[in-house]
Amino acid sequence: MLLREVEYAKPGSVAEALELLAANDGARALAGGQTLVNVMKARAASPDQLVDLNGLDELRGIELAGDGTLSIGAMTTYTQIAASAEAKARPILGAVCAQIADVQVRNRGTIGGNVCSNDPTNHLPPLMVATGARMTIVGAGGEREVPAEEFFLGVYMTAVGPGELLTRITIPAGRHDGFAAVTLGIDGTCIVNAAASVNGAVRVALGCVDAVPVLVTAESPEAVADAVRAAGLNPPSDVHASSAYRAHLAGVLAERAARQAAGAS
Amino acid sequence: MTESSTTTVAPAPTEVQKGWGGQSVPRKEDKRLLQGDGVFVDDVKRHGMGYLHFVRSPYGHAHITRVDVSAAEAVEGVYGTLTGEEVAALTDPFFQMSTAPGANIKDYSLAVGKVRYVGEPVVAVVAETRELARDASELVEVDYEPLPALVDARRAQDADAPVLHDDAGGNLMWHGLYSWGDLDAAFAEADRVVEIPELHFHRFNSTPLECDGALVEFNRGIGQWTIHTNNQFPGFAAIMMGPAMRVGLDKLRFVMQDIGGGFGNKITSHPQLVVCCLLSRKLNRPIQWTEWRTDFHLSMSHGNERWFQDTEVAVKDDGTLLGFRTKALDDAGAWLRYEPLGGVIWAQVTPGMYRWRHIEVDFTQVATNKAPVSPNRGYSRMQHLWFTERVIDIVARELGLDPVEVRKRNYVRADEMPYETPNGCIYDSGDYAAMLDLALELIGWDSIEEKRAEASGRGKLLGVGIGSTLDSGTNNFAQSRMINPELQFSGNNEVATVKLDIFGEIVVTLGTTPQGQGHETTAAQVVADILNCSVDDVHVRAGHDSYWNSHAGFSGTYASQFAVTGLGAVKGATEALAGEIKQLAGAVFGGVPAEQLELADGGVRIKDDPDAFLPFMACGAIVNANNAGLPEDLDVTLNCRYVYRPPFEVPDIERKFGNLTLTYAAQLHVAVVEIDPETGWYELVDYAAVDDCGKRINPQIVEGQVMGATAQAIGAAMHEIYEYDEDGNLLTPNFYDYHVPHALDMPPLATGAIESPSPFTPLGTKGMGEGGGAGIHAICAAIQDATGRAVTDSHNPYQSVWQMLQEAQA
Amino acid sequence: MDVSVTVNGTTYERDVEPRKLLIHFLRDDLDLTGSHVGCDTGNCGACSVIVDGVLVKSCMLLAVQADGASIETVEGLAEGDELTPLQQAFTEHHALQCGYCTPGMLMSATALLRENPSPSEDEIRKALQGNICRCTGYWNIVEAVKAVGK
Repeated sequence: MLLREVEYAKPGSVAEALELLAANDGARALAGGQTLVNVMKARAASPDQLVDLNGLDELRGIELAGDGTLSIGAMTTYTQIAASAEAKARPILGAVCAQIADVQVRNRGTIGGNVCSNDPTNHLPPLMVATGARMTIVGAGGEREVPAEEFFLGVYMTAVGPGELLTRITIPAGRHDGFAAVTLGIDGTCIVNAAASVNGAVRVALGCVDAVPVLVTAESPEAVADAVRAAGLNPPSDVHASSAYRAHLAGVLAERAARQAAGAS
Repeated sequence: MTESSTTTVAPAPTEVQKGWGGQSVPRKEDKRLLQGDGVFVDDVKRHGMGYLHFVRSPYGHAHITRVDVSAAEAVEGVYGTLTGEEVAALTDPFFQMSTAPGANIKDYSLAVGKVRYVGEPVVAVVAETRELARDASELVEVDYEPLPALVDARRAQDADAPVLHDDAGGNLMWHGLYSWGDLDAAFAEADRVVEIPELHFHRFNSTPLECDGALVEFNRGIGQWTIHTNNQFPGFAAIMMGPAMRVGLDKLRFVMQDIGGGFGNKITSHPQLVVCCLLSRKLNRPIQWTEWRTDFHLSMSHGNERWFQDTEVAVKDDGTLLGFRTKALDDAGAWLRYEPLGGVIWAQVTPGMYRWRHIEVDFTQVATNKAPVSPNRGYSRMQHLWFTERVIDIVARELGLDPVEVRKRNYVRADEMPYETPNGCIYDSGDYAAMLDLALELIGWDSIEEKRAEASGRGKLLGVGIGSTLDSGTNNFAQSRMINPELQFSGNNEVATVKLDIFGEIVVTLGTTPQGQGHETTAAQVVADILNCSVDDVHVRAGHDSYWNSHAGFSGTYASQFAVTGLGAVKGATEALAGEIKQLAGAVFGGVPAEQLELADGGVRIKDDPDAFLPFMACGAIVNANNAGLPEDLDVTLNCRYVYRPPFEVPDIERKFGNLTLTYAAQLHVAVVEIDPETGWYELVDYAAVDDCGKRINPQIVEGQVMGATAQAIGAAMHEIYEYDEDGNLLTPNFYDYHVPHALDMPPLATGAIESPSPFTPLGTKGMGEGGGAGIHAICAAIQDATGRAVTDSHNPYQSVWQMLQEAQA
Repeated sequence: MDVSVTVNGTTYERDVEPRKLLIHFLRDDLDLTGSHVGCDTGNCGACSVIVDGVLVKSCMLLAVQADGASIETVEGLAEGDELTPLQQAFTEHHALQCGYCTPGMLMSATALLRENPSPSEDEIRKALQGNICRCTGYWNIVEAVKAVGK
């Protein structure tokens, strides 16, 4: 419950934030804090320095381009996404953000924090993969864009390297999306989740079944269950679900998400 | 979700409601709590206090080979430490209630020589700040030699099982065979014997939102500790701590005001309190201890996990139950902190709500490398009542009979009350069949099949289940002699004082330690009715303080008894005060007998001469400050202390026969579930809870208890479990993994109430609050109804339901 | 580090370690013990306060992050000795038993009612989803908030 000693800095610009992160191996970016602070309470990880991104207005906000592309600042909160008129261009975003945990968490938790922490039970990594999101990473070497499919590397590990920051997530236009989950209680932690997107073919990204979202594709929602089986999932077992149960849920939820996506307009 | 999620059905008043009893008076406690002005233990501060952090065992079972605190103590701002070695030198092991071999275990307040569960306190570190104590604890060096851990109670008595306590020579902590009636005759008379190989009641507890805590000060001059703590049974804590610390009990003053929930889980903090006491003396400063959520989950008061093995039930073809035999195996965890009382407390409700007369329970309690067990809401009765309800439903299923009919056929009947059970307990009153009818009406039983069909149309499996249960209250502590005939406990008591202060203010002190049950309010209602004044004129001191001398050996708030023992004491003290007021007034009025006087309008007057009126203020002033000229033989103090003592005998210990509890409140719950057959996910779509706790002093407070207990049952049935891996690691050590119900998880709720007054209590009330087990029974029954599979475990998360559906298809 | 926070209209200036959680700062440094700690994983909501108009769990914010902020806690709700309509509704509907979750519940309900003066039952439950109660089962709390919402 009690953190180890830590230094704290609140940069006023992205450039300053990058400098701080690059200068100290033990520096960590602090976004919403809804995960990181708990990790620090448990002393499971104890950064030397927290670089607070909450002063960086340039990382907030949602822009809707003429072609329907959404550009979401990494520090945009779940509440802001759920309430955003612009984000309604891709309704699944707000719909999923609105079911994360509770109001207090949604008021502070950010889309950037959610994808960068990449806890296998998080809602947004599968959603980013399914919707074909692109992640903008900024570092000393400049700016680069990484497709969601290549962004998630392992448990708690993403393509954001030391001294770098995720600044923006770009999501293409689309309305044929679905999301299905079995959670520990309503709006609780996901036991298995599935995000689907239909654009001709069906893309389904499964969460909670591996270190990173598992993407399966199929011709139609009816073919999704077989595609999940063919993926040969070997999900983890824990106190909430056995591997076999998770694998079973993955198939069911993938198909439901796909049907939802196909039916959405 | 319907627009209004609660409906209430309450009895029409059988008599004109006058006075405060029976009114839902708003609570006196609320104002301070709503303004954030409650005083919970962590709110109490003392200058110079040291913050305590426990170094806890990372192993489920290990020898301790070395403890070195020097690095921790060298840190500036660290005030000191305490080790198991010091504890073993300064204290004696805690008293053990068990007989040998359980009696032989040596329980100290820090681990000595060995650790026996993950989270067991090993060393205590005290420092200037919370954070520093936490930091310094990481510098304490403890070397362990890990041992294999025992986590399955069914393996505890295997030849190769790891042994926790060498002093006990094995893991058996207690055993008793209970047998009443004529089992052979019953099984001979039976048309058939239903066999149930294994039923399992899982390990969980009520996770009060506030964890344990203390702030302990040592007065060196008089050798006394003031223990600010949220322990809910200070009588028990004192009895355990005093001898261990080798001090008289008056050296331990317990003080508490507001407690953030207890549910039984705040009874066994005495080991941690001893550590605080020793440190406050050693370091000569107040010691502050906050138990963090993870600490609580790892180490405090898990509920009894119990198996019922090789159950055989003697039944007639028409569903009449004749009797049963079973082997109960209870997992006590690593230490006996309130155990093995759980080994007899279930016997308060031996037959459940049913009329069978031939019963045998072979009860074994063992130790395992898990957190020590101690009372959890429903303590030991809940496990046994769940067992009887499972038997009813499984028998009904096997015989193809309607669970409603089987219950009605077998319920103890209202016209049999008071009813003597096979082991001599007296069910005081109740009408279970009427409760069932009311609950079925509330749930819309007649339209259930319609709802089932409609759910089926949506691809869902609907199931409805009944859970009936008893909440036995006001213990006869003589039952402890069935565990150990040498124990010198019997009966029960509670104390209250009521006085007129110098300016006539009515002041009440209780011996109880409420954690949300509204004692200040209901006590004021009882006092106001007797003194014929307003509840607003009655000042009930908040909380508990040994210095009030308003407590006795069994004082505290636990085991569903306040409405009987606490209010019984209040009634006795107030009646004594009323008598003394009349005596005083009679003397002041020149010799008027008491029958001609009445209390009214904040004073006492002559009935036929209302102008002859003595306000309470005058009474208080006369006795306290203006007493010249009073008759010599006038023996009044206007400060009345009353010890309520329930009418108990010592049971026949050999036959294990006798009355173990004074009152039996009853609960009848019906749950409706809808299961998603593709995933096993399910939700409660409707719920009805009917409660009968005799006369209700404050119906709204009673209903609040019913609701809270229901919510806890839902959590336990669906999500909450203390589950361990094979090394003894707790997999649910916090609220992230141990999921308790949140606001969105609750079903619509209809509540109903019936009042069957108790013939045995001063006010016709019965203790209540622990009846929530009915929810677990009802949900198990509903899942059984939906899946067609016999439910044999009290814990049924989505995966278990899915598993049942797979088995049903196979 | 130096921080300046305004809590319930009063400004406090203190020197705090960066690692100190806001809830501990409020309780231990400012003696505002109305907000409570009920867990160590950010799940229970007993620590809920309003920071610059936003409802947050103060156990997941560092005190230094609140520098310059305006914070509302339970102690600031009532006007002197008089309970607010929300607090009044809580007592009328028996929406508290032990009272430990109550400050957090009140802050969450306050935040809800500011944004949505007439919430539906579902909206109330959603708004209180981050506040655990073990005593009441939530039904009476929902009724109390509904009553204020009319």
